[in-house]
Amino acid sequence: MKVLPPVFLLLVSCAISWAQGGGAPQPPPAVKPATEGKVWGALIFAANDAAQLTGSQEKAPKHLGVLDERLAKVFPFKHFEILGQHQQDIFREYESWVVPSRDLFLKVDSNGPAENGGVKLHLQVWREQQVLVKSDAVLRPGSPLFIGGPKWKDGRLIFVLSLERK
Amino acid sequence: MKPPSENHDLIRWLDGEMTDAERAAFEGEMKADPALAKEAEEMRSLSASLRTHLPAEMKVPHADFFNSQIQMRIAQLEMEDSRQKPESSLESIFALFRQPWLAAASAVAVVVAGFLMIGPGGTDSEHSLILSSYTPGRGVEASTYHDSAADATVLMLDGLDEVPADRKISGISVHRSETEPEVAATTLFDAAGAPLLVISRDAAGHPLFLRNHPRG
Repeated sequence: MKVLPPVFLLLVSCAISWAQGGGAPQPPPAVKPATEGKVWGALIFAANDAAQLTGSQEKAPKHLGVLDERLAKVFPFKHFEILGQHQQDIFREYESWVVPSRDLFLKVDSNGPAENGGVKLHLQVWREQQVLVKSDAVLRPGSPLFIGGPKWKDGRLIFVLSLERK
Repeated sequence: MKPPSENHDLIRWLDGEMTDAERAAFEGEMKADPALAKEAEEMRSLSASLRTHLPAEMKVPHADFFNSQIQMRIAQLEMEDSRQKPESSLESIFALFRQPWLAAASAVAVVVAGFLMIGPGGTDSEHSLILSSYTPGRGVEASTYHDSAADATVLMLDGLDEVPADRKISGISVHRSETEPEVAATTLFDAAGAPLLVISRDAAGHPLFLRNHPRG
């Protein structure tokens, strides 16, 4: 009987293993992009007339304390309703979007960690296809950013952005 | 037609800095002016081409911020200049401060002012800060301050167009997202892990909400 050469056997075993893999290239393992931290963003409707509220039942995270009371110290309204909220990683090398609503949302680019804690950010507030403001900011945990946006009904839309503690 | 560098409306249109009314008017203008429409298309193609070929992590400096920084520097120089000019005329007033009783009172005032400025909210190094802001919309102004009582930094935008009262504003609750830099798309998911929407950018760099993922 003729003995098969070792090279031939190696080729056959490679072909079998390739066939078992379906011939398709294996997807690379998912690599999570590097991040600078995590933010919480929310779109809030401030109004005096409770009848104008939308009925949303969204709740603020505990780390912000009683958010309504903090907002009331800045904005002269009785009711503050969270319309939508978004927890988002801040990517070190890529843009991040904070989209609690399709109507008013935020694009965030990291400019690296800030001295004394926090993170340096470039922020853009968008209202659909229109940018409302571009800003450079330092965001620190426990110290949220309140952005007073456009008026709606008899109240005002407010964007809140907060850096979560690591 | 204006040279490209002078056509501010075209640049504002490309940058998404127009209001709905301004955009509609400008797009009407383009329909009536084929040369303007051609220029807009060329600039948009150029912008898209540059975006495609630039590395994703490269930071492109914003010309508007560059301008705002120059304006801030000019304002600082003007302020320094105005401080220097009246120096001779203020000499008589400074002589008043040489009075011993007034010097003591001034020292107390400085301490009180310092206490009020630092206040219970702490120093600048402890709370969030707005370093600079730029509002491209006409008539829109941004002001910023730290509110110690709320322990929050406030960025107030005034002069924005009101949202029509009959417009429905609805929110979503996003618990996590997945970003694919290769296709510049971010998929947003709810608490149950179901996809809510996909956000990407169009050729002009404006945000674009998609029903389906760009890879299908």
